[in-house]
Amino acid sequence: MTLLPVALWGGLVGLDAASFPQIMISRPLVAATVTGLIAGRPADGLALGIVLEAFALLTLPVGAARYPESGTAAVAAAAAYLAAAPAGIEPALVLAAVVFALAWERVGGASVHLQRRLNERLVAGWTASRRRPDREIERRHLLAMVLDYLRGAAIAAGGAWIGALCLQWIGPRWGFGAGSPVGVLIVATAAVIAALLHLFGGWSQRRLAFLLGVLCGCTLLLFR
Amino acid sequence: MRLHAPALSLSAPARIARAAVLLRSFAIQGSWNYRTLIGAGFGFALLPVLRARHRGDPAALREALERHTALFNSHPYLAPIALGAVVRLETAGEDAAIVERFKAAVRGPLGSLGDRLVWVGLRPVCLLFALALAFAGAPWWVPVLAFLLAYNAGHLFLRAWGYRLGLHEGRAVGERLRHSFIGPAQQVLAVAGAFLTGLLLPLAAAGEAFSGLLAQAERALPLPWMAAAVAAALLGLRFGGAVRLPIFLALAAFLLLGSLWRIIE
Repeated sequence: MTLLPVALWGGLVGLDAASFPQIMISRPLVAATVTGLIAGRPADGLALGIVLEAFALLTLPVGAARYPESGTAAVAAAAAYLAAAPAGIEPALVLAAVVFALAWERVGGASVHLQRRLNERLVAGWTASRRRPDREIERRHLLAMVLDYLRGAAIAAGGAWIGALCLQWIGPRWGFGAGSPVGVLIVATAAVIAALLHLFGGWSQRRLAFLLGVLCGCTLLLFR
Repeated sequence: MRLHAPALSLSAPARIARAAVLLRSFAIQGSWNYRTLIGAGFGFALLPVLRARHRGDPAALREALERHTALFNSHPYLAPIALGAVVRLETAGEDAAIVERFKAAVRGPLGSLGDRLVWVGLRPVCLLFALALAFAGAPWWVPVLAFLLAYNAGHLFLRAWGYRLGLHEGRAVGERLRHSFIGPAQQVLAVAGAFLTGLLLPLAAAGEAFSGLLAQAERALPLPWMAAAVAAALLGLRFGGAVRLPIFLALAAFLLLGSLWRIIE
């Protein structure tokens, strides 16, 4: 997998996260699956996207809070995984890709913070300009969006490159077999999905709906 | 003092300018920054109407832009409510101080309403629904497409409804919001979210999300792992989002240990 399509797609994902148009192609579920599609392995991208989405759901972009950027990290991790595991699903590398994404999303979050600091200067300067004020505001606003696209592209492509190196190092050195990474991922996913109940009011307010869901889930399991 | 601006018969350019404001609202967070938040984006979105209103008067246009690029915040999907109302007020020639007071009054509620309705309601519910489809073994494109369609139906409706509401109600939009569908919708979404969380939990603990990985490991999920998943789920229920960082650190530690195990042995 070459870095150019990863960068182009990563730029769109980074832009969608906040700047434009927020149609949620920046969610890890979508971002990782489409990265897989670009490489011809969408199902592998989806497998990674499911775990990353469960983690990302716990992060809320409320107010002016600083938060990790899960979309570009999902693109980077999926591209790294697809480069390091050329055929089929490798449990140890899926675990490594998940850990890499959860670390890299903090780098993405820091880059968003820097971009927002840069935007302060960009938008503050229009009053001093001699150009027509309406054109100047448009120019600066659009420039901020172009920079955001380039930021997303750089974070996704840079992450894919670094991530692929990390995963290629881990692959041949893995010493625990294929079963334990799967078990660990299942335990982690169960914990973060359960934690989501707090978003909807927690046990005290939503236990009936939650327990009804558990009952339906168990019934589904029995009939599979 | 008028609460509602008079209804205006619109020319074609005015209608185009109003439509352009709605389209530009998709980029309202394009220059998000810590000083004015989405203030510059608000001015950017409003430009087509301000240009038409102050055509031939650059000083008035500059003054209006200075006002509308100042500090403002809102949930991006509900910002069209404020934009619509301001379009109506500006078109009706309302006093600048009144427009400013209106913007200051709505920016808090539009932020918190949108956060609760979209970030804590619509989005996680649509994503949990998509995850349920994935856990049920749907082809790769089904969860992705289902999420994008379901979520964006709500997203686009909110933007269009909000803009129309703002244009129609002007300064009275706050009163209309109090009696809108948003409050009941939040409740319905919270119940749906709790149900879907419960539905997904047994599927996740049984490893349904990892059927491909389990096949690779050539075995079903052993009982101890399932028991560990149930225990982890109880921790998640108890501590909520606070489990995210410890789980990440635990995963990283396990990965490091697994990678160095052969050297340690």
